[in-house]
Amino acid sequence: MKITKELERVLMKVQKPGRYVGGEWNAVMKDPREIDVRFAFCFPDTYEVGMSHLGMKILYSLFNEQDFLWCERVFAPWTDMEEEMRKRQIPLYALESGDPIRDFDFIGFTLQYELSYSNVLNMLDLAGVPLRTADRAEGDPVVVAGGPCACNPEPLAEFIDLFFIGEGEEVDLEVIRLYREYRAQKKSRAEFLRAAAQIEGVYVPSLYDVSYGEDGLIRAVTPREGAPAKVRKRLMRDLDHTYFPDRFVTPYLDIVHNRAVGEVFRGCIRGCRFCQAGFLYRPVREKSPETVDRQCHDLCENTGYDEVSLSSLSTSDYSRIQELLDRMLQWSRGEKVSISLPSLRVDGFSDELTSKIKTVRRSGLTFAPEAGTQRLRDVINKNVEEDVLLQTVRTAFAGGWNTVKLYFMIGLPTETMEDVAGIAALAQKVVDAYYEDPARKKGRGVTVTVSASSFVPKPFTPFQWEPQDSIGMLHEKQACLVHSIHTRRITANWHDADTSFLEAVFARGDRRLGPVLAEAHRRGMRFDGWSDCFSLARWLEVFHDCGVDPAFYANRRRSFDEVLPWDHIDYGIKKEFLIEECKKAYQDQTTPNCREACSHCGASCFQGGICVEARSHLV
Amino acid sequence: MKPVRIWFEKKGAARFISHLDLNRCISRAIHQAKIPLWYTQGFNPHAFLTFALPLPLGVRGERESFDIRLEEDLPEEELLRRLNAVLPEDIRLFSAKPPVKKPGEIAWARYRIELEPENGDCAAFCGGLRALLGSEGVWVEKRTKSGTARIDLHPYFRDTEIREEGGKAVLEPLLPAGSRENINPLLLLQALEQRIPGGFYASVSRQGLFDAEKKEFA
Ligand code: SF4
Repeated sequence: MKITKELERVLMKVQKPGRYVGGEWNAVMKDPREIDVRFAFCFPDTYEVGMSHLGMKILYSLFNEQDFLWCERVFAPWTDMEEEMRKRQIPLYALESGDPIRDFDFIGFTLQYELSYSNVLNMLDLAGVPLRTADRAEGDPVVVAGGPCACNPEPLAEFIDLFFIGEGEEVDLEVIRLYREYRAQKKSRAEFLRAAAQIEGVYVPSLYDVSYGEDGLIRAVTPREGAPAKVRKRLMRDLDHTYFPDRFVTPYLDIVHNRAVGEVFRGCIRGCRFCQAGFLYRPVREKSPETVDRQCHDLCENTGYDEVSLSSLSTSDYSRIQELLDRMLQWSRGEKVSISLPSLRVDGFSDELTSKIKTVRRSGLTFAPEAGTQRLRDVINKNVEEDVLLQTVRTAFAGGWNTVKLYFMIGLPTETMEDVAGIAALAQKVVDAYYEDPARKKGRGVTVTVSASSFVPKPFTPFQWEPQDSIGMLHEKQACLVHSIHTRRITANWHDADTSFLEAVFARGDRRLGPVLAEAHRRGMRFDGWSDCFSLARWLEVFHDCGVDPAFYANRRRSFDEVLPWDHIDYGIKKEFLIEECKKAYQDQTTPNCREACSHCGASCFQGGICVEARSHLV
Repeated sequence: MKPVRIWFEKKGAARFISHLDLNRCISRAIHQAKIPLWYTQGFNPHAFLTFALPLPLGVRGERESFDIRLEEDLPEEELLRRLNAVLPEDIRLFSAKPPVKKPGEIAWARYRIELEPENGDCAAFCGGLRALLGSEGVWVEKRTKSGTARIDLHPYFRDTEIREEGGKAVLEPLLPAGSRENINPLLLLQALEQRIPGGFYASVSRQGLFDAEKKEFA
């Protein structure tokens, strides 16, 4: 990009100026004179966080494959850079060209977590684009958004012109092409939005009216001007024939995940009842080992990365993991590339698998039992059994591992203090398993880290009606956990309950949170996901001054027949299924995973992945 | 095992890349280009890659170098071509030769500092600059390993000519560089910002490195 002398002076003053200059290996440069449509792909967090995100890499490359389109990257400038930019009136620019994004055709945000919403507004403001849809004029960029948080788009409804629901590979380009066509025909912004709303997977919030009852609950959501009553998500049915990049922009800076990433499958066969991703991405669709192997190899060839990780919600659930690793090991050793497998499941961690990844690089061992007692694990349908977990750590200890990380959640529905104490008890059993071998008494010892996050009820899960524990209760449970630990071998840490509370408010919020967001932005809120910027006290002031009670969203139990803010968004999962699952949770009943048996969640309507595979077994 | 010193330019966006990041970038490129590097022996083998002297963040490098060791001989032209093909545009390698001097021998560096006053009055700006650097007591804070120290820039800049070129003040100081004593040219900008009224744009590059006898590092 061109670095003006004005910008250069600013860059000399800020920390990590490399975040703001682009120029990385594999960054896509085009001649703007040959480009018809310009797209600013915005990740509302820092460069290091955004550059680690696989979804952005996929769409960046896919968009840039199109001759008429130039997609550039934009990240949220850190507070020091923001201050300098505002002082010198440098508008938010894209990293490839250095051009201000207010001159682009599209500004697109990926919404990965609710706490980035204040950054969305701040970035629009820094760009010099009107915050509200209603205030944008004909020449202004079309502001679009997608990603998992788009499943409940309502808190952002007044700021975003158009949401993409579900997977973007097809629908994004359909919308961009429609825009190009409509612009050529000199049609208005309103006409374009109205036509775009007809594309499956597109939600144009300004075409829906929301009415509220006297009880403060939503009475109805009514589409206008021919917009569909329900917006169904888009989904790629066959991942072997879905676009995947053969190169990544390879940053100079050390980002959060600085390596090649192979995508093994989308979705998850497990139906953990707290896990939104597990429902949003249904049904599970696998890539063949040939495809994954080729894609990983291409990425390593074109980036020079010496590490590739296999990404998915739980990689060891991949039905052909052994076959895949065998293929990859054929080239990875010779090319000095190591393979890492994140998010290993307890019951998928076999001896053989251990030895295979051990041959490459030793990373930490992590398990996610999520709850401390079997009863509560049944409630959340987390299929991890204690003896299997202990057997697995024994195997790992025998293989030389001596650090284990255990992930839990506190504040889960039906949880008691007994369940919380059970977290410490389980960690203790892992420690004891290590010292079963007397020879280990002398060595370096074992370290078990217990990480406890606070449960946030999310849309499209069986717990979408549940209240979140109050902050006070979460603190009590954290204290209970600490008091239940009796050895220095176990360290416990947790996520701040304050941020989980705000996350819970926005996760299940409605349009009445729009003014709250706007006011929070006006008072300088941003980077709420960062402890150095976040202040719940300041947020509570905003809620108070806007006359909105955050507990209404976070801590209230909804009834099954309440109209939920996201009821007009359709992820294929039937509401009756979620209600059934919620009831089963309260009866400590588990549900089999999709590979064991189909539970008829509704996702078979997409006619892809495991739903059709499961059926063919039945025939 | 064949030691090679590779000479390169660091400009554009790459100016804002820290030494650590540059190291990672070059390692990655070497890996991608499948350059037959010599690996250290032992339990945890790693490739040998070392830079002559880190460049301060924001400074352009005209003649920088790093050393590698090759497992087998590669013609200079091929080595450069293969590496340049997998490096960002702002890092350009232009020569690969056997090292003559050790990096430890580096004692001096030549910089070029261009300053453009915001108000356009270059003559007045140069006058102020001459007056400032010609007298003792140009104190600035310098970060050191053990906190900060105050140093006087006067002795380092008093012999530096200040020329006027196309609306810019141009200085080409030779400053101590290397492990014994190292003077960052950006300290001058820090001094000017505090002492000369009116803003200015700056552009700084390192032209070359020299040993204690002021002979070019090769
Ligand atoms: S329809 Fe059945 S197989 Fe398909 S995702 Fe739902 S539960 Fe799983």
